Amino acid sequence: MHKVADIEVQHNIMEANKKLANKNKEIFEKNDIFTIDIVGAIGSGKTSLIEKIIDETDYKIGVIAGDIISKFDAGRIENHGVPVVGLNTGKECHLDAHLVEHAIGDLPLSDINLLIIENVGNLICPVDFELGSHIRIVVVSATEGDDTIEKHPMIFENSDLVIINKVDLADAVGADADKMVNDAKKLNPDVNVIKTSLKTDEGFQTVLNSINKFKNNL
Amino acid sequence: MHELAMAQGIINSVIETANENNATEVTEIVIEIGKLVLINPEQLSFMLDVLCENTIVENAKFDIIEIPAEIECPECKFKGNANTDDLDHYAPIIECPKCKNKRVSILNGKDCIVRNIIIEQPN
Repeated sequence: MHKVADIEVQHNIMEANKKLANKNKEIFEKNDIFTIDIVGAIGSGKTSLIEKIIDETDYKIGVIAGDIISKFDAGRIENHGVPVVGLNTGKECHLDAHLVEHAIGDLPLSDINLLIIENVGNLICPVDFELGSHIRIVVVSATEGDDTIEKHPMIFENSDLVIINKVDLADAVGADADKMVNDAKKLNPDVNVIKTSLKTDEGFQTVLNSINKFKNNL
Repeated sequence: MHELAMAQGIINSVIETANENNATEVTEIVIEIGKLVLINPEQLSFMLDVLCENTIVENAKFDIIEIPAEIECPECKFKGNANTDDLDHYAPIIECPKCKNKRVSILNGKDCIVRNIIIEQPN
């Protein structure tokens, strides 16, 4: 014989990640580390942006490089002489706070004042998973098509800085970079939108200024 | 794709609660999914079926309730559900449906909650 019981669970699955993210943030702040989560599609220029920030600023940078199965990005960043932890998600399409917590343990935190977390190439899944970063930057390239932003509203609504990259190639692929700027502004009126070409340097200084401003306003 | 991660979180939570309550079987699981969570309920349901094989949850019925995106507008004081736009996005647009203000507070719809489970216990 058995009896039936209705058990209240009220377990918020999103909350578990959020709690870990807050814990990560506490660790960053205790160590005076400003942390950026960089998201964007495959090939949008996330790793190139990180390489340029390492080469052209005086920050003491550490990097967590997320990838599905490879360590290619971590290897690229290692060549620039900064501490980097490669994180493989296996089949998962995003980093989560738990994975980042593990990576933090492998970084020399006292030698870092700017931590850059490169998320997995994806414009959808990372939205739901806070990592504990202070700001989120989304990189989208003109070559992805100028309808990319309106097709993926959530990530642009939930980011602090939008970088429209590869604007030097916009004409070649028939994309209107200004339309992309407007689309981002329409979705998120407070967001900072910068057109860049990491190849020609266009807009890069503005990106650095914006990062500095976020860091100083903390 | 992250339906798998979410489904695993749900199953873990259910099994933990079931064990705490000496369940011999879980027969029903009620889950609330906010419309602003980028989860497709059908894909989630598929993943749940796969993950619960050979567990105490194996024969459970999953009841997935979609929770609308509730917002509050500081401008026109509208309080209610956000609309999906004419581009047919799955997720509602975070915007006041009355005055089109984008700077709104989100009151509900960003969570994924295991609300309750029905279990069988030994007498």
